[in-house]
Amino acid sequence: MQKKLPPFFTTKREFLVCIFVLFFSSFTFGQQKITINGTVTGDNNVPMAGVSVNVRGTSMGTTTDPQGNFNLQVNKGEILVFSFVGYEGKEVKVNKAGSVENIQMVSTTAALGEVVVVGYGTQKKRNVTGSIATVDVSKLKDVPASNVSQFLDGQAAGVSVKQGTGSPGREFDVTVRGIGSLGAGSSPLYVIDGFPVGTSIGQNINPADIKSITVLKDAVSTAIYGARGSNGVILITTKEARSGEVSLTANADYGIQNIPDSRRTKVLNGVQFAQFKKDIFMDKIRYFDSREPTIDEVPLDYRYPEQTKYSTNWFNEILNNNASYQDYNVSLSNGKGPIKSLVSVGYLDQNGTLLNTNYKLYSVRANIGGQLNKFINMGINLNGSHSNQTQANTEGRDNLVGSTLIMDPRDPVYNADGTYNAYIGGHDGVFGFPNPVQVLKESNSHYTGTNVLTNGFLEFSFLRNFKFKTAVNAGIYINSAKQFVPSTISGENAPAPRDAREGDSYSNTMNLSADQLLTYSKGFGYHQVDILAGYTAQEETTKYLEGTGNQYPDDLVPYLSSAAIKSSNSSEYGWSMSAFFGRVNYSYKGKYLFSGTYRREGSSRFGLQNKWGNFPALSLGWRISDEPFMAKYTWLNDLKLRGSWGVTGNNNIGNYSSLSFLNASNYILANNFVNGQVVSSFANTELGWEKSKQTDIGLDLSAFDSKLTFTAEYYDRITSDMLLSIQLPAISGFTSSLGNVGKVQNKGLEFAVGYKTKINQIGVWGNFNISFNRNKVLAIRGANDEIWQGSFYGDYNVSKVGRPIGMIYGYKVLGIFQNQAEIDKSPTQDGAIPGVYKYADGDGNGIISYDTKDMVEIGNPWPKGTWGFTLGGDYKNFDMSVLLTGKYGYDVDAQIEKSTENLDGVFNVLTESVNRWRSEQNPGAGKLTGTNTWKYQRESNSRYVYNGSHMWVKNVSIGYSIPKSVLHSSSVRVYISAQNLFLITNYPGNNPDVNTLDGTQPGYDDAAYPISRTFSVGANLTL
Amino acid sequence: MKNIIIITLCAIICFVECSCSKDFLNKTDPTKIGTDVFYKTQTELEQAVNGVYGQLQGIINNQWLFNELPSDNTSVDFNPGDRGQAPSIEAFEFWNYNSGTGNIDQMYNQYYNALFNINTALVKLKNIGTSAISDSIKAQFEGQLKFLRGYYYFELTQYFGDVILITEPLDVPSKAWDYSREPQSTIYTQIETDLKDAVMLLPVKYNAANVGRVTRGAALTLLGKVYLTEKKYPDAVSSLSQVLPLGYSLVPGYADVFDPQKKNGPESIFEIQYQGGNDLGEWSSFIYTFGPRLSQGAVTGWPQSNPGGWNIPTNDMIAAYEPGDLRKNASIGLNFKSPITGDVVPYIKKYDHPHTIYGRTDDDWPVLRYSDLLLMLAESINEQTGPTSEAYVYLNQVRQRAGLPQVSGLDKASFRDKVLHERRVELAFENWRWFDLKRTKTPEELTQFLNAYGAAEKADPTVSRQGIPYSNGDYIFQAFENLYPIPSNEILTNSKLTQNAGY
Repeated sequence: MQKKLPPFFTTKREFLVCIFVLFFSSFTFGQQKITINGTVTGDNNVPMAGVSVNVRGTSMGTTTDPQGNFNLQVNKGEILVFSFVGYEGKEVKVNKAGSVENIQMVSTTAALGEVVVVGYGTQKKRNVTGSIATVDVSKLKDVPASNVSQFLDGQAAGVSVKQGTGSPGREFDVTVRGIGSLGAGSSPLYVIDGFPVGTSIGQNINPADIKSITVLKDAVSTAIYGARGSNGVILITTKEARSGEVSLTANADYGIQNIPDSRRTKVLNGVQFAQFKKDIFMDKIRYFDSREPTIDEVPLDYRYPEQTKYSTNWFNEILNNNASYQDYNVSLSNGKGPIKSLVSVGYLDQNGTLLNTNYKLYSVRANIGGQLNKFINMGINLNGSHSNQTQANTEGRDNLVGSTLIMDPRDPVYNADGTYNAYIGGHDGVFGFPNPVQVLKESNSHYTGTNVLTNGFLEFSFLRNFKFKTAVNAGIYINSAKQFVPSTISGENAPAPRDAREGDSYSNTMNLSADQLLTYSKGFGYHQVDILAGYTAQEETTKYLEGTGNQYPDDLVPYLSSAAIKSSNSSEYGWSMSAFFGRVNYSYKGKYLFSGTYRREGSSRFGLQNKWGNFPALSLGWRISDEPFMAKYTWLNDLKLRGSWGVTGNNNIGNYSSLSFLNASNYILANNFVNGQVVSSFANTELGWEKSKQTDIGLDLSAFDSKLTFTAEYYDRITSDMLLSIQLPAISGFTSSLGNVGKVQNKGLEFAVGYKTKINQIGVWGNFNISFNRNKVLAIRGANDEIWQGSFYGDYNVSKVGRPIGMIYGYKVLGIFQNQAEIDKSPTQDGAIPGVYKYADGDGNGIISYDTKDMVEIGNPWPKGTWGFTLGGDYKNFDMSVLLTGKYGYDVDAQIEKSTENLDGVFNVLTESVNRWRSEQNPGAGKLTGTNTWKYQRESNSRYVYNGSHMWVKNVSIGYSIPKSVLHSSSVRVYISAQNLFLITNYPGNNPDVNTLDGTQPGYDDAAYPISRTFSVGANLTL
Repeated sequence: MKNIIIITLCAIICFVECSCSKDFLNKTDPTKIGTDVFYKTQTELEQAVNGVYGQLQGIINNQWLFNELPSDNTSVDFNPGDRGQAPSIEAFEFWNYNSGTGNIDQMYNQYYNALFNINTALVKLKNIGTSAISDSIKAQFEGQLKFLRGYYYFELTQYFGDVILITEPLDVPSKAWDYSREPQSTIYTQIETDLKDAVMLLPVKYNAANVGRVTRGAALTLLGKVYLTEKKYPDAVSSLSQVLPLGYSLVPGYADVFDPQKKNGPESIFEIQYQGGNDLGEWSSFIYTFGPRLSQGAVTGWPQSNPGGWNIPTNDMIAAYEPGDLRKNASIGLNFKSPITGDVVPYIKKYDHPHTIYGRTDDDWPVLRYSDLLLMLAESINEQTGPTSEAYVYLNQVRQRAGLPQVSGLDKASFRDKVLHERRVELAFENWRWFDLKRTKTPEELTQFLNAYGAAEKADPTVSRQGIPYSNGDYIFQAFENLYPIPSNEILTNSKLTQNAGY
């Protein structure tokens, strides 16, 4: 049966061709059309460029040029739809004369009608009384981001972001308003499209799919997430079709990444190292035997340094220069009619700047939804992704990056026959290491992750003011890891061949949650009431399987099946929670605002007696600008004072911490294996929530036609009943048990300023935010109010009452002992000889004891201030933006220098070592000790603590939009971008944000995957 | 229409409410057994007892640190390059340990953790119904647990002097702060009670499947050792003599005592069981700790080895063997030369046997041996009545096996010295030397004795220090150091706990 075609087509084929042509070009034919011209202006009648102009019900459209002008061929009577981000949409009918009136767009901020995403819903920004920061992801579109967490960097006051490692695809460390807990985790809760996915965003969300990010900071915003709200909540909303538009967008981004020379650590070359070894050897004889050594005594290996055959810069050898970065996304959306849909496909391929490391992400996202009828609204969101990674053990001195700095530079990468030189060093007293190039090429770990994240909802509207929404969320995460280390890879001080070994693991996580939400919204007279009541339940289960293999016959079959010795392990763990919650928002005349929330939540993680916790919060707001006495300040658009108080929780502890289990403790009897069991831990049936009480006072201001926005905020959060490991007397059988003790305070100030204007044809905008957080331990556990983490030769992070969490502790270095007389008149330092550090007598007893007694506070790892500054502008078809971020007033412990400045001669050392202490007459630069002893050099001490203050020029992007006159209705923008362009700091390491240990042991630099500088070019195409 | 919607909503809410039943929030680790459901059957209690034996392995693995290294028997293969981890171990050789020494802390925790499991199992055993377990099995379990409790307290009180006595598991952690140190005499009373109970409860022999569990002979021998340490010589003689008729004997070849092929032989009274050659996780690896540092495969037989170089026999120890003593070659390896200095680095050979898997040896650890019993008996008799012919019989039995001539005609003091010397070489590196020295010398004598040893070692180190000088505090023994310090962590946690004098 032939369908009815429009009369002017004679065949179906002709019709399809026509549609095809219409869709992919903007040629028009066959219709009597008229050309209309118009101008679009925004605030203050400033012409607006880039406004989408579409003909309703068709795919035809254009965008305005820099002068705000557009021309379009339309039929009379058709309706034009104007849309632009941050502005209210507008529809205008083409009149009979074929012209339209001047189009004036109204900015949503100007109207304060902008809606922000909040917990379990949305709220008009105008009425928000909590502390909420929104990240405008559209301003970050040129940033080559391989993880969503990167979008938070420098964007919101109170949100601290650290890129501790340059490993491709890796999530950044994010904390909101400081570390709130000594024992449980301090990562925020991530919620994707209403689905609380946990305290990690993971790797598999395609950054290109993100529409907006909202950070909930104060209690009234986060308490609705109850026991997971203490560390802040980050709400991520993915893109959906824009109303009234059909569009196809394609983005392509290609970049190259390098480690700038300025961020490479400089160590001795082969000749210098041989000379260093020779000097150490001879200096020892000079000091201990008090005589001049003869050249024949020097071991042959470094007797004549100038004859050293090879010089290898190991760090440079492991670099993959000009590593590529590629990111492609295509999305098709339909926002016309009651049902909207969007499909997007992405491919991201980031090669690492270290050899043979990379990250690939394939993702597909689809959503569909809309108003079925007057009563029913429904939607579904489906995201599938698969990532593939090749990684190496790069972090820390004992792993790849650190070891390249300290291994013998006198060895070549390859033997004369082209094979790998498998064991580097390991002779004449130098530590032996595996060849890092070989490690990267032959024994990397492979990871895959397959994620399905899906949610759907059904919403009924009834009784005029009521809505009931039921939503179901599911996350399925399938991860695998595999590493095969062939027999050709050496170990530290263990030359190849060694046993080949393999480790494989596989895990499967299912996270399910369901929300039932009942809302009531009614305005009567001056009153507006919004009420939410809800119930939610969530459950997560992970199943894990791993196997290891040893003793392979050869390196040819890298699977467990060929291992002679195999072991395997399987496990399963999970948690569940459920909660009732409610929220009441009330406003009077839009001037006096009130919001109150309450949540009662139960968790499987807590003891029988304390499964449930209560989390109330309330806030008040006063729109001062609406008061009659403010009317005379016409420059002021909006001024709001708000305050909130509330209780939130933290359940970031193990799944079964309140329970006691048995552990295997097997034995042999009569030469046969017998099973044995012992108790693994103390059961604490009283274990309960960690609670935070937070007070927040904020002020929002908007002025000068909303060109200027300003927010200032003060908060004070006290976390009590901390989930902390309590030290028990060992006679209880155990040395610790998780309990609810202690108190920590975080208080601070946050400021955010935004400004945008247009001067003639030049648009300028800027956002600056800065936050000052101070944390302080108020109590720990009574008599023994100190927590020491770390080690004597590492460093110590100490939390003491009255001081910030995790202060860096060690000996205070007063200088270097120049001679025996100086040693004799100083407090006793057993074993000290000239050339070692002179330590301060911390406890004043006249003896520097070789333990922690004389150690004092030598550094504060918490920044005094953290700031971000985004500056943008446009002129005609050009646009640009610059992102600067910085932290100041904090200390980093350069732990790696304990190895790279270890003057034993077992490691290669920094070039700086030539300025070491050699004698009283030749004391060097005063920074490095002599070489004659190891003692009083590498203990945790102030010498290794540096000021970490820095500023990053994180991103600079310049774009050019190809004029419409060239491209008709499609829009194309091309851009170039530089990421991590410059780092300005006095810190000698290559990344002052490095965070090898994390948590309550911040500021610990033990060498990590280096951070690259990326130059990229890209194009956005919209049809 | 509205009604239908409301009914639907109610139905959904009800469904959700049901799913929120009490069980939804009760999660337990599916891969583990909770303590609340265990200890109900004979098998489970047997596993609890076995678990306590299993913990012996971890304790014995490090016991050389506390029982041999501080003595004149062993020293270290000094590592001039890597000073990082060395001080925590070398502290025992140089008597530099203090209340912060991590290994003491760890040992203290291990002992009380094992005691907690013993106490827990004893309570559960007491409360179990008679239908679940027969009386004879119950008695055996109780006897084994009490023997091990006695053994642990005996070690603890020799390490620390007065210690906290805890004989029941705590139900709430807060009660742990209610305990303080008890005088050593109280601890000895508890040890004697436990061991006497064990003597009554334990069988002389087990069936074939249970070889390796503690026996009546082991309990009597340990009780004898306790009496000897307390200088209760008649009790010691009485207890030790009761072992003689139980069927133990010296094996002809001394090296066979340590041969993994001949475990639990006629000379073995109590030994810690290990098993190599498989994936069961019960292997030992002593030679990987004791082998010379740079020996790689020369000693262990596995080229990828990186032995620790700890517990190295001293020059003094090597010289202690009389000419012709067959035990020397079975105990000490003198065939490895350092690739750096070219000097011989001696090592303990008793636990060095071929093994089929890298890192996993099959060697057991001897705790109580018949030769130890004979020497203790000789010593006790000498102390009680002087060197009787009976005492000579026991002493010479041990010497004869070692290929040494009989001794005779000694006075009491010389006989005492002879026995101590004989104990040193017969039981070398079996973790008795430190206790033997403490037992037979006053703190002043011990101080003099050890400082003489230290001075000699300092003058001519067993293993070259390659030019690195000693620190001023090395090898200076002070009398108070015959007891280890109570770990500072414990004192910080519980301020009621007192520290040993001198620390």
